[in-house]
Amino acid sequence: MAKGFFTDTTICIGCKACQVACHQWNQLPATNGGNTELTGNSYDNTGSLNALDWRHVKFIEQIPEDRSQEGFLKGSRWLMMSDVCKHCVEAGCLEVCPTGAIIRTEFDSVFIQQDVCNGCRACVSACPFGVVDMGHDGRAHKCTLCYDRLQHGMEPACAQACPTDSIRFGEVSELMVLADRRVEELRAQGIPAYIYGKDDIVGGLNCFFLLVDKPEVYGLPSKPELPSKNVAAGFSVSALTAAALAFTGLVSFRKNRMDEMGDDGDPPAPPRGTGPAPAAIGIEAVRGTEQIARDHVAERKARGSDAAPSSSYVRVERSEQDRRRSLPIMGQRQE
Amino acid sequence: MTLALTLSGPQWTVNPGAGVPHAPGWGWYVILYFFLGGLAGGCFAIAAALDLRRNPAPRDRDVTRLGYLLSFPGVIGCGVLLLLDLGRPPRFWHLFIASERPPVPIFKYWSPISFGAWTLTGFGLFAFVAFVRVLIESGRLRWSPALRAADAVRRLPRTVAVIWTVIGILFALALAGYTGVLMIGTAHPVWHNAIPLGGLFLASSASTSYALLIILLLRRGYGHRDPMVRRLSEADRWAIALECLLLALVLVPLGGLARPLITGAFGALFWIGVVLAGLLLPLLLDRLRAGADPGRRDRIRAGLVLAGGLLLRFVFIMAPQWPEVRPWHL
Repeated sequence: MAKGFFTDTTICIGCKACQVACHQWNQLPATNGGNTELTGNSYDNTGSLNALDWRHVKFIEQIPEDRSQEGFLKGSRWLMMSDVCKHCVEAGCLEVCPTGAIIRTEFDSVFIQQDVCNGCRACVSACPFGVVDMGHDGRAHKCTLCYDRLQHGMEPACAQACPTDSIRFGEVSELMVLADRRVEELRAQGIPAYIYGKDDIVGGLNCFFLLVDKPEVYGLPSKPELPSKNVAAGFSVSALTAAALAFTGLVSFRKNRMDEMGDDGDPPAPPRGTGPAPAAIGIEAVRGTEQIARDHVAERKARGSDAAPSSSYVRVERSEQDRRRSLPIMGQRQE
Repeated sequence: MTLALTLSGPQWTVNPGAGVPHAPGWGWYVILYFFLGGLAGGCFAIAAALDLRRNPAPRDRDVTRLGYLLSFPGVIGCGVLLLLDLGRPPRFWHLFIASERPPVPIFKYWSPISFGAWTLTGFGLFAFVAFVRVLIESGRLRWSPALRAADAVRRLPRTVAVIWTVIGILFALALAGYTGVLMIGTAHPVWHNAIPLGGLFLASSASTSYALLIILLLRRGYGHRDPMVRRLSEADRWAIALECLLLALVLVPLGGLARPLITGAFGALFWIGVVLAGLLLPLLLDRLRAGADPGRRDRIRAGLVLAGGLLLRFVFIMAPQWPEVRPWHL
């Protein structure tokens, strides 16, 4: 049975107990060697989910441009949301991981095996939620859903620490029933609440959220896609391009070969110091090395001089051993 | 008393980095790998295509030899760059073998990195065989076991050799073309939606490979009017034209998402370095009169194509990662 979180953002008070509990249980060090750098632009001091912060409380301060206050903070709203890995039903990170380091556990959570991860970073770019991050140890890190605690019948540290039960842990199906009931309650009060993480979001999120504004307001994508969605189309375009290149190459070489018919067919001599001249290369070196050699002997005789042959591709004078070694090796039948 | 205060700016604030997919931190190792992989695959494909001819002319053999000689060191370079790019290089073997059940191989064809790792390895085999063959045929390798193996291979029917070469070409094209698909297979909106990127990088690989072969042929004493140089230049022009088309097919559908690529400092590099110097100028130079030193013109043209190919990869990899990843990041 799938385990997960139901995070009700309407009762989050931004206390960050979840962040602290996560750091404590998972022994995650404070950033920058213990000197945490404050973001300086809100009560959010860690900025985003990353290799060291597997829980991240977002502070969304909604303040109208016209701040005429008629009554206490009328028109203003302060949203808080404790973000975490969603342990997606169709997980992009798990899909692309080339090593098999990312697995789905018996609790249906998505887990990175640290002893297998080789730091290729495929998962980092594959996560549409910006959850997975590279650590300074050269490996990818994210929330484990406290896999070690679950194996011992405990609930994850963040859920246990949450003082308002904004974070609830349990069976996903049971949590969803609870969440739907809560949505109904809020809507009855005129609050446009909804669940982010039903089947329409990458097959469903095992860790889903109750939100009261558009997903983008919370820094969540409204329509996240699996990274592999466009890969087949991408390969198809590559294949078409390869076909087009083959065709244009063929046309260029055919056309120029026809133009070449009247030209002198011998290429220039290679520069000095390039080693012994090679023999024929070609799958079917129809002329064969021996034939080329005979042609050159005939050519030299016809010239009646010792001048170097115009074609430099064959050493005319060489030992039998050398000749054998320089025979074409593929496609030429033995005589 | 009513407090009236008007603030400019957004109605809500949230840290801009939150929720946005993290940049993978690809830097120069990846840029050079993409560039070198394109050259290795492209040179091999051109060499092998000429190798398939029934009656290879001396020029064909020269280009075949050159292409084969270039592709294997290129593959080695790619392997080294890929290793260096891993967070834990000694664990590279996890890309090939499932750690839970050794020695069962792990291959996820739907994962571009897994696909690429196997493609590079497979192509390495073909590039190695071709490289050794050139060394043997040129008399540079005289190791008797290799010579005996070469003798045995020589006795194989032509069909086998053709099939081997065609498979090698497919691997070469896969290596040159998958790198763009690797970027499509991410959650980053710019890369994820640039569907023709694999084709663009493949066309660029072909173009840069033609350019590299032209430079090397000119260095070997070929004249600018030599038929082989003319053929390669003609094919290069087609590849550049295809690249222009694919570039438009990438940028236009991206719309506003293309902003990081075409504006700011990266935009300047893109328009001046990639489009003007790397694509339009080489096409224009072909139309200009040769002048006193036509060989020099051809070398400059080919150099521009190569530089443009490298810059294309630099802009497409680095611009969407800015400012999370700095342009000098390895």
